[in-house]
Amino acid sequence: MTRPDHIAATGPGRLYRGQTAVDFYGHRRIGLVVAIIVVVVTFTSLFVQGLNLGLDFEGGQAWDVPAGETFGVDEAEQVLRDNDVSITGSKIQLREAESLSFVAVQVEVVPTDQAQQITNDFAEAAGVEVEDVSFAFTSSSWGEDITQKAVRALVIFLIVVAIFISIRFEWRMAIAALAAMAHDVLLAVGAYTVFQFEVTPATVIAFLTILGYSLYDTIVVFDRVQENEGKYASVRMPYADVVNISMNQVLMRSINTSISSILPVISLLFVGSGLLGAVALQEFALALLIGMIAGVYSSIFVASPLLATLRSNTGRKSRRERLTGEDLRAAVVGAGVTGRILSGGDESDDEDDAERVDADKTAAVHQPAERILTHPPRPRKKKRR
Amino acid sequence: MKRRLWLSLLATIITVIAIFAANLATGTTPLLGLDLQGGASVILEPAEDASGEDLTVVRDLIRDELERSGIAEPNVRVQGDTIVVELPGVKDQQAALEAVDVSGIVELRPVVNFSECSGDGAAATPLDGVSVDPAPVDPAPVDPAPVDTLGVPTPESGEVPVPDDTVGRRSLRTPPDTIPVPDVPLLPDELGIPLTPGAELLPTRDGQVLCVGPAQGTGEVFERQSATVDNSLGFQVNVELRSGEGEATWNALATQCFNGTPTCPRTIPGSNGQLAIVLDGVIQSAPSVNQPVFDGAVSITGNFTQSEAEDLANILNRGAFPVEMVAQEAQTISPAAGQESLRASVIAGLIGVALVLIFLLAYYRWIALVILSGLTIWALTVFSVAAFVSSATNYSLSLAGVTGIIVAVGVTVDSYVVFFERMKDEIRNGRTLKNAAPRSFKMTWRTIWSADLVSVIGAAILFSLSVGSVRGFALFLGITTLCDLFVCYFFTRPAVILLARSKFMAGRKAFGLEVAS
Repeated sequence: MTRPDHIAATGPGRLYRGQTAVDFYGHRRIGLVVAIIVVVVTFTSLFVQGLNLGLDFEGGQAWDVPAGETFGVDEAEQVLRDNDVSITGSKIQLREAESLSFVAVQVEVVPTDQAQQITNDFAEAAGVEVEDVSFAFTSSSWGEDITQKAVRALVIFLIVVAIFISIRFEWRMAIAALAAMAHDVLLAVGAYTVFQFEVTPATVIAFLTILGYSLYDTIVVFDRVQENEGKYASVRMPYADVVNISMNQVLMRSINTSISSILPVISLLFVGSGLLGAVALQEFALALLIGMIAGVYSSIFVASPLLATLRSNTGRKSRRERLTGEDLRAAVVGAGVTGRILSGGDESDDEDDAERVDADKTAAVHQPAERILTHPPRPRKKKRR
Repeated sequence: MKRRLWLSLLATIITVIAIFAANLATGTTPLLGLDLQGGASVILEPAEDASGEDLTVVRDLIRDELERSGIAEPNVRVQGDTIVVELPGVKDQQAALEAVDVSGIVELRPVVNFSECSGDGAAATPLDGVSVDPAPVDPAPVDPAPVDTLGVPTPESGEVPVPDDTVGRRSLRTPPDTIPVPDVPLLPDELGIPLTPGAELLPTRDGQVLCVGPAQGTGEVFERQSATVDNSLGFQVNVELRSGEGEATWNALATQCFNGTPTCPRTIPGSNGQLAIVLDGVIQSAPSVNQPVFDGAVSITGNFTQSEAEDLANILNRGAFPVEMVAQEAQTISPAAGQESLRASVIAGLIGVALVLIFLLAYYRWIALVILSGLTIWALTVFSVAAFVSSATNYSLSLAGVTGIIVAVGVTVDSYVVFFERMKDEIRNGRTLKNAAPRSFKMTWRTIWSADLVSVIGAAILFSLSVGSVRGFALFLGITTLCDLFVCYFFTRPAVILLARSKFMAGRKAFGLEVAS
């Protein structure tokens, strides 16, 4: 089939005008393979090396060094650096009171002899006796019960969200949305366990942000699917086609939204931690970046094909091949307008006459916008089947 | 229609700017977290030797207590033999010391006598002790005596003639009528019984004094954080018993008091022995025990006012401190992440948002002006709400919170993108801009509220059920999402619809598309 004149000639042009015709459902195996890889890699890595939990989760060692004219936060940092202790995983604070001020240093657990060495170095740098430098183990500040409460809240949240999506949309969409969300969070967690980034409370917040973002994005996409489902209700369009049409329609929106969400995070990553040297931001921004890209990707490549698969086994039987190529494009372009698409011709489409029905549908798919906008004469009512 | 749109648009702009200006004028800004601004730090030491396990329990209790009293996201940890408490946003060292003054131990002591303790030895306060007591007590039933009772909750408290408080098993239906039966024959027994050694006089909260025996249990018998106020029939306090040891200790005590044994005699004839709940040497409540055995839960009923009941519940909730903690000096602490992190994240965030705006202007041309002004309104609203919330509740903005807000810009921009992409579709299919705008908004609004509602639900659930930084995250997620919904409906909608109708847009490339007029 040749392309009509109003369709842009180049790929980006078609994308810009919302005239794409990608058969997302036909390529659903890509999403499946990627998802399986993500799950396998993440769980293998979690099992083999686990997560690199930071100071706030695991506790560590703490020094209180008397502060003075010549010894402050910067000098303490230098001592740690000389002893090859990571600054990113440590906390160095100035603790001031009327009587005496301390530089409070917390680091992750180091071997005893190294700890002794650091104590000596601190004493030397601060110009005090070794006895004046207090050294102790410090516990986690993120206790078990914070985790427990957070997990409990999360489980309740997911149940409520599943119920909400089931009411607002339908239960299969709830399953698909939660699966996509799990996929995204696993991807982000996977990055942390594979590369052994340090997990801090901020990381947990990043994971929660990803979770929320993923659900948000999936719902925006599903809302279009549901709208199109209603639009094609009278033509009995196969669900895979409805999903394909919807994905192509929201494609530009998804790309724009991801660009607008990801630009600030990229800026955080490169400008904030790269140029301005706020190292604390680096891994946090990286987790967000991975998760947000995944959030947009999974709505289209994981959630929607999964939804179409869940739906295709039930209800109406597809009686013909999926729309592809120019047929799909025509449907994508045509359906982007509010209103209901009616099947063409007179309404005597009895079940047996499959050939004719298909022809009708193709016609309905091709010029629906004009049909909606020009208000064709209402056909004479016939007896209801 | 048109007038209403103008009204909504102008009212939103004026309100938001006025509130923001008021915030600036009063100097209300969002509180910054420990990692950004530092705060105050207090070191607590145990009064006696404590195991590491005890200190871990105390750490969790202190954190719960601080969060309950409105100090959000404190950092509490065990360091060596001490507990280090770091409070965000607290600059005053004295305030910090007061905030962490949560160290008292709750003791359970049987009431031995009224108003006097005759010596610490085995001095028998025989007939006198009890026979005298009813006399001063007789007027007591008239006034709301500090005598509480432990009994089955609501139905009985009505039946009990004395305006006392009762402690009872919640599930049990047995009325207290059964209790008076063993009462009378036992009365003579206790008369000849000597007072327990270790008894002392302690004041109640109303200034009366009671003689109480030595502590036979601590607040650890109660399940942590389980005490609640129930106001279905007068105010009562329900609390759960910690299964196992806690329940056993409590029941051993309750049985003594119920039977009026020498250690916990019947101080008022016709009533059962009383069990005093003591905090820092003050009797908080001394309910008489209406059951020998409690199954998992206890309810304390009586003539409580709401605040009295809440106080008692709080005391029971904090009661599980295994050791007494003494606050050492308070110190101010510097931010952990450092000022440059905040500066870097804010600068980076602003650069990012600027890039987003440039991208959107290039993509949507003129109509992107709406996004620019909408985002400004959104940012002002978020700032005002965050400032208000943190001044009212002590919730502070940590580095994670700042970056979370930067991420929220993306979600907010999405509202516009969904809207404009929809409009583009409609226009391309031959609708006029004027016609497309309201129709597109209708469909877009449906999408936006569905998606945002999920975030709001998430924020509400995480906020109410979790603690610490997860809670802070939920708060700011909720604020940014609600502001998005607000701005979308009251600003973006009228702005776009009015712009679409105006002569200004006629013939311009609104979306880089030729618009039919």
